[in-house]
Amino acid sequence: MGKISAPRNNREFIDACVKSGDAVRIQQEVDWDNEAGAIVRRVCELGEAAPFMENIKDYPGFSYFGAPLSTYRRMAIALGMDPASTLPQIGAEYLKRTNSEPIAPIVIDKRDAPCKENILLGDDVDLCKLPVPLVHDGDGGRYVGTWHGVITKHPVRGDVNWGMYRQMMWDGRTMSGAVFPFSDLGKTLTDYYLPRGEGCPFATAIGLSPLAAMAACAPSPIPEPELCGMLSGEPVRLVKCETNDLEVPADAEIIIEGMILPDYKVEEGPFGEYTGYRTSPRDFRVTFRVDAITYRNNATMTISNMGVPQDEGQLLRSFSLGLELEKLLKSQGIPVTGVYMHPRSTHHMMIVGVKPTYAGIAMQIAQLAFGSKLGPWFHMVMVVDDQTDIFNWDEVYHAFCTRCNPERGIHVFKNTTGTALYPHATPHDRKYSIGSQVLFDCLWPVDWDKTNDVPTLVSFKNVYPKDIQERVTNNWADYGFRGAKK
Amino acid sequence: MANKWEVFVMDLGELAEGKELELTIRTLNDGLHKYTYQRAKVEVSSKLDQFADSLQVRLGRGQLSDRRFSIRVIERVERMPARYL
Repeated sequence: MGKISAPRNNREFIDACVKSGDAVRIQQEVDWDNEAGAIVRRVCELGEAAPFMENIKDYPGFSYFGAPLSTYRRMAIALGMDPASTLPQIGAEYLKRTNSEPIAPIVIDKRDAPCKENILLGDDVDLCKLPVPLVHDGDGGRYVGTWHGVITKHPVRGDVNWGMYRQMMWDGRTMSGAVFPFSDLGKTLTDYYLPRGEGCPFATAIGLSPLAAMAACAPSPIPEPELCGMLSGEPVRLVKCETNDLEVPADAEIIIEGMILPDYKVEEGPFGEYTGYRTSPRDFRVTFRVDAITYRNNATMTISNMGVPQDEGQLLRSFSLGLELEKLLKSQGIPVTGVYMHPRSTHHMMIVGVKPTYAGIAMQIAQLAFGSKLGPWFHMVMVVDDQTDIFNWDEVYHAFCTRCNPERGIHVFKNTTGTALYPHATPHDRKYSIGSQVLFDCLWPVDWDKTNDVPTLVSFKNVYPKDIQERVTNNWADYGFRGAKK
Repeated sequence: MANKWEVFVMDLGELAEGKELELTIRTLNDGLHKYTYQRAKVEVSSKLDQFADSLQVRLGRGQLSDRRFSIRVIERVERMPARYL
């Protein structure tokens, strides 16, 4: 694999985005109380450049970087690619890098770690010293973690997990957050810490390098520090925490250390989420007690403002869920031609292209998809044939509306695992992460005669001879048409 | 100085008047600690001049209620076990 020149930290990423026109510097004062959140929300809805807000009310010296990865252009920049790279190109690069050899992190000396430039311990610890934003009006609190990594380690297996679990500031030393029982951290808590009544050490890293954030967001089976190394082509620099044995990205802007309490909870939420709704009500959730805060000089807090499409949660999660499912299906020998989630589905619908070479292939795909670690994050799988462009929603939608037989093509999976964030789920199902899922099989049945039973697609590219297509295309402007590009 | 507080409830019936309640309230006073929470024993009244402090209410999904209250914070309640403080 050739040398990768991806931004190594959040600051290099911001500089690259500003240089390419994919970020704007905002030097006028911005209020942490709603205004910054509103800016980021509008950026997401308009597909604008990412806002780098350098002057935060009440918090001199701090800055915000909002919507860091809410466009494919910024995702390409994060990977060190041309910002104009197409989605299939970005996906191919992701697959290439994440199928390479894992790259182990290195641990550096504290004196070389930028995140240790300021250290707050003991009575100095106060989350209110950080510019924690009120992201949406009406949220249950100011959210410390919206684009970050919560770092934990399984004490027996040694698995390190960087996960993006939302975290609300309850008071100056307490955070609460949504940790689903099927998540890696949820399993570690229920498997080890909660039965023993032991606190779970954690560290929250904010202002990660974009590829570290990508790793934290990806549902990959590869441990995130190694995954981040594979994505960036070099080892991640880690440094040991001040108050526990965890190791955190040394180049992160802000680190919050502490313990997840095993026997005490405070309220959390509601919060505007990636589904485009505030779905879950306020409830008593996993509680994080803070023991230390460390941060860089002039630290930049990253903000994701989740809501209606499209934000980085939708974009990146759709991207990585689709590609991880593609790897899984290919590992099982299924002749998939591609897997894609449109971000506008708020990563709820998985579209799988496949060569329909045997009966039941769509069902096999759905069973693998829903039965995998990825499954709780989406509830719809749509399987189309290899002639349908999975990236073209017009084609996918047409296939769905015309080939999915209402009686034979729709298969409902009941009593599966779901998330508390599903807007369509009942309050009871949300509380207990009870899900239901559905397969839309949009393949022609393999026992239909291909000549006489399967309908012929009537489209320009399918029914006309090549020479006629070329003649019409080449003469298009001469006919007097001006707008069409195809 | 009068303080401004906010509470989240699923139902306005949770804010019974004329009795001591224990609520999780957050401060709306301007400053670095705005929106931080505390648990407190309080008394609330729909008469806005009954108590010096004001209380606004949000419902389950963050909707701001048009009902307003005055509130008296009787004392702070610490529920967190002492070993974590």
